[in-house]
Amino acid sequence: MGFHHLDRYADAGGPLARLAPAARVLGVVVIALGAALLPPGAWPQMTALLLLVLLLAVLARVPLAVFAARAAAPLALLALASAAVLVLAPGEPLARLGPLALTDAGLQRFTAALGRGAAAVGAGVLLVSTTRFPELVEALRELRLPAAVTAALGLAYRYLYLLTDELERLRRAAASRNARRGSAPRRRLLVALAASAFTRSYARSERVHRAMLARGYTGALASLRPHPLERGSALAVAGLAGVVAGIVAWARL
Amino acid sequence: MTQPQAAQADALLEVHDLAYRYPGAGWALEGVSFALRPGERVAVLGPNGAGKSTLLLHLNGLLLPERGRVLVQGLEVTEHTARRVRAAVGLVFQDADDQLFLPSLLEDVAFGPLNEGRTPAEATALARAALAELGLEAFAERAAHHLSGGERRLAALATVLVMRPRLLVLDEPTGALDARARQRVVHLLQRRSETLLLATHDLEAAAALCERALLIDEHRLVADLPLPTLLADRERLQRHGLLAPL
Repeated sequence: MGFHHLDRYADAGGPLARLAPAARVLGVVVIALGAALLPPGAWPQMTALLLLVLLLAVLARVPLAVFAARAAAPLALLALASAAVLVLAPGEPLARLGPLALTDAGLQRFTAALGRGAAAVGAGVLLVSTTRFPELVEALRELRLPAAVTAALGLAYRYLYLLTDELERLRRAAASRNARRGSAPRRRLLVALAASAFTRSYARSERVHRAMLARGYTGALASLRPHPLERGSALAVAGLAGVVAGIVAWARL
Repeated sequence: MTQPQAAQADALLEVHDLAYRYPGAGWALEGVSFALRPGERVAVLGPNGAGKSTLLLHLNGLLLPERGRVLVQGLEVTEHTARRVRAAVGLVFQDADDQLFLPSLLEDVAFGPLNEGRTPAEATALARAALAELGLEAFAERAAHHLSGGERRLAALATVLVMRPRLLVLDEPTGALDARARQRVVHLLQRRSETLLLATHDLEAAAALCERALLIDEHRLVADLPLPTLLADRERLQRHGLLAPL
């Protein structure tokens, strides 16, 4: 796995890529907030919001198949987490599943949760598909997230691959000595590998910190490529917020 | 063995009776004293666990002495002077992956100048120049993960050279490199004019780069002598866990 795995569509171009990364992050917040404010049963408005997200995906030149594939897993998880509401919400029974009754209110809440989730997840997928990870960290820094959080995210990105390589080396070392098959030995091996990887990562973090101090680090990572939220990007976010507010107002009229 | 005077006017680095213990462990260094004049090129030799890396970490204040003193350009290394000392002493770590922690080489090389208060534009220009100096300009936007071992080692060197240190301290600069990469690193270091202190097991590289040797064994400085003299003394080398180059 390499860096390009995560950033494959980040350089696709298009108007979204020209916006400041912080504007893209704010755009996700605006869409997620709009989706959360839509009342259950506001289907035309929910459809409008989802179409807006799809339009943005087209503008960002993210292939729709990739967009759908990336959104599928979080949406499946969301569907699983919300499934209980189908039978738990009191209402008119629509169908029976043994002792459980699928109610109309349950179905409405489930689909509303799925719709809201689809809009928010779609916007999130769009963000990570158009923004390289370092830009994302930079955007969070621009939005005044604590320096410790953004520094940790930046370093995690750099060392994630080193850690996976290290785990792979450990796994091979175990396999080369005929690590036993079967679920119980496998679980024990996994725990041992994880413990070893943790110890090594901890030692590396100490060494990296020393290397940072050796070059004058004082606790704040200065940015080489600041991406301030300039006027054009701010206007784009304001425009998006206006459209989303319009959809929400339409639903609540 | 060289015993530094109380304050040598011409010394770039002075180490006086340095002793250090890691928490919960025995002495990692005991009574080490030596001095370095500007322009000297010195190899720190010794077996694994002798205390070489611990010594290097003291030279720019990453570790502070439990006993004794370290002076860089006459300035004692303390918690308060460490930042000034680090501007004069560039330390290149043994594992380049420890030194390259940012998403691209350009950002990694610019890290030091940014910490020195340079603007992003100045830091970028300095970083690009340092990368070009080492023939790495084509890799500026690449992540360290995508470089070979030799390229990573050179990139780690660039992160320090960009700060124009007076004393270049290298921990195993040729360790785990293939012959071509090793030669590239040695040739590059031969062209540098900075005062050089390198800890290594690679006696061939040491012979190509240094004229003086500090031999450390069992946490003590056991010899401070011209490197050719040490290399000719096979018995002494063997006694201290080293093998003379063929």
